[in-house]
Amino acid sequence: MSPSYLGRKVLQAIATLVFVVILNFMLFRLMPGSPERILLRNPHLDAQSIAAARARFGLDKPLLPLEISVDPPSLKVNPDSQFLAYLQTTASGDLGLSFEFRGESVTEVIGVRFWPTIILIGLAELIAIVVGLTLGSAAGWKRGGTLDRVGNGISLILYSMPYFVIGMPLIIIFAAGLGWFPTSGMLSPGAQYQSPIDQLLDFARHLVLPLATVSLGLIGGYSILMRSSIIETRGEDYVTTARAKGLKDRSILRDHAFPNALLPTVTVIAINLGYVVAGAITAEIVFNWPGLGTLTVDALAARDYPVLQGIFLLISVAVILANLGADLIYGRLDPRVRA
Amino acid sequence: MSAATAPVDLRGERWRLRVRNARDFGRRYARRTDGVVGLAILLVFVVLAALPNVFVGALETATTASGTALEPPSLTHLLGTDGLGRDMLNQTVHGARISLTIGLLATLITILLGAVIGIVSGFRGGRIDNVLMRLTDFFLILPTFVLAVLLAPIILDIVGDDAEIAGIKAKLIVIVVVIGLTSWASTARIIRAQTLSVKERMFVDRARVIGSGPGHIMRRHILPNVTNLIVANTVLTFAAAIFTETTLAFIGLGDPFAPSWGQLLNAAQAIGAPSLGAWWYIVPPATCVVLVILAFTLVGNALDDIMNPKTAGRR
Repeated sequence: MSPSYLGRKVLQAIATLVFVVILNFMLFRLMPGSPERILLRNPHLDAQSIAAARARFGLDKPLLPLEISVDPPSLKVNPDSQFLAYLQTTASGDLGLSFEFRGESVTEVIGVRFWPTIILIGLAELIAIVVGLTLGSAAGWKRGGTLDRVGNGISLILYSMPYFVIGMPLIIIFAAGLGWFPTSGMLSPGAQYQSPIDQLLDFARHLVLPLATVSLGLIGGYSILMRSSIIETRGEDYVTTARAKGLKDRSILRDHAFPNALLPTVTVIAINLGYVVAGAITAEIVFNWPGLGTLTVDALAARDYPVLQGIFLLISVAVILANLGADLIYGRLDPRVRA
Repeated sequence: MSAATAPVDLRGERWRLRVRNARDFGRRYARRTDGVVGLAILLVFVVLAALPNVFVGALETATTASGTALEPPSLTHLLGTDGLGRDMLNQTVHGARISLTIGLLATLITILLGAVIGIVSGFRGGRIDNVLMRLTDFFLILPTFVLAVLLAPIILDIVGDDAEIAGIKAKLIVIVVVIGLTSWASTARIIRAQTLSVKERMFVDRARVIGSGPGHIMRRHILPNVTNLIVANTVLTFAAAIFTETTLAFIGLGDPFAPSWGQLLNAAQAIGAPSLGAWWYIVPPATCVVLVILAFTLVGNALDDIMNPKTAGRR
């Protein structure tokens, strides 16, 4: 990989990140009403306490670090501005205070919800990648056969289903109907566990349906992508050569076609991994899973903008890093893009 | 110079060519079973969306509900009733109109933005291209759905929840605009790539030589030659727009008084219909969502295969 390719990609990622931070700063200032009114929802505040609050939150400082005056024309840099303060605190991991969860910092609020989402979506990605790639390559290899028709049909239907459209019927059948699994949550409320293993089992029982939902939702996309990729490699010369050598059909697929067809899929997987943090918002809602998805919707309902922006920033960073990763992996795997 | 050549009937010739192309296209499309099935499904939903009152009467509200809460399907209520006693068949058919309208408007904004940015970027090149493509990259990388979730309530707070713009609920307009603003980037990329190849063709040089301005060339020479791509892309964008609208409505950004399918499922989730086992509250709108998205995907894929110069002829 040439240093210029690497450098360009890293620069692009940094530029995108800067964009996101600026966007976040501007969105907060776009909001109706002054921030201090939202922070201190009290119409009877006297001027003195408002001024104190403004000073405390740094709202008495100018917005931008530039002071432009027309008469006399001058452009002055002012280091003491809201924008620079915002950059400084954001860089140090301080995302401000939540409106809804009084007194808690956004970082704390998000931190608690981080792991449930990572576990749920991470496992679902694993399952979906294995099942989706297997299904897609098997279907594409025997294009037009029974497996292709059925498999591709199922993939297209799954691809058309939002998570909640998959999850709600699963609850009706397996939780409300058959009673095999709990309908919601991550652990039974108020349960006393004999041992950590009991707790883990309870967690697993709660995990099954959400995990199935997210996995099914992801399988369609992976399978469709892998199918078209395999179909493309099927006509390549090296596959014909392998056939001419008299290799078994199965070994041609496994050793020659599959690894090459994987190339475009790897990029998509890498990008998708960035979205692990974003989670499957609607799947978490359906099962009341205490992750970042339910937090997003709770914050949305309460108009808790600092939390929403914190989540947006976190997901953006994850997605930007994943994209950078995808570019670098691709550059390493495919010699044609190294230039 | 032979004086015997009859004047060529240009207008008639062009017309004949168009009819032949259309017939050729129809024949190729008819061979695609999946595309035909998708089109049939879409036709059914378009008819339902156009004339919901003919099939199920006016939209039932909380005050005009015709049944009691959560009745299972029966002869009077073929699909049962919802949490407020409204007939589910009535709600679902009217939902078609709302979901498809929002989807259509969002798609129009997406395609308009994508096509204009793509054509201008590809045709003008240079610095304009550079700036526009960086912007496109930014929107391609960004988690646009989360951005939509962040933007929608902020815009709603600014214009006010119950505000109306030209007689239409601000909530619906905001959803449409937010979907459009966050999903044009991939369209712009595709159109730009095609514009880059079209602008190298001879007729563009010819137009320039006889003094056509860039605006004229883009409208009369580039646009007609990327229209195929735009059409296929529009259909696929429609599927994505319905998907996004359903999801945004489900997480509570919809308008309860204009129940799209996503809004119906949001209400079902809010009263806990899944754990109550009230399947009739969930299955009708959920099935419609899946059928419509699937149908648009099938039609879009078929069109893409037939019209896209990159994939056409490969099969």
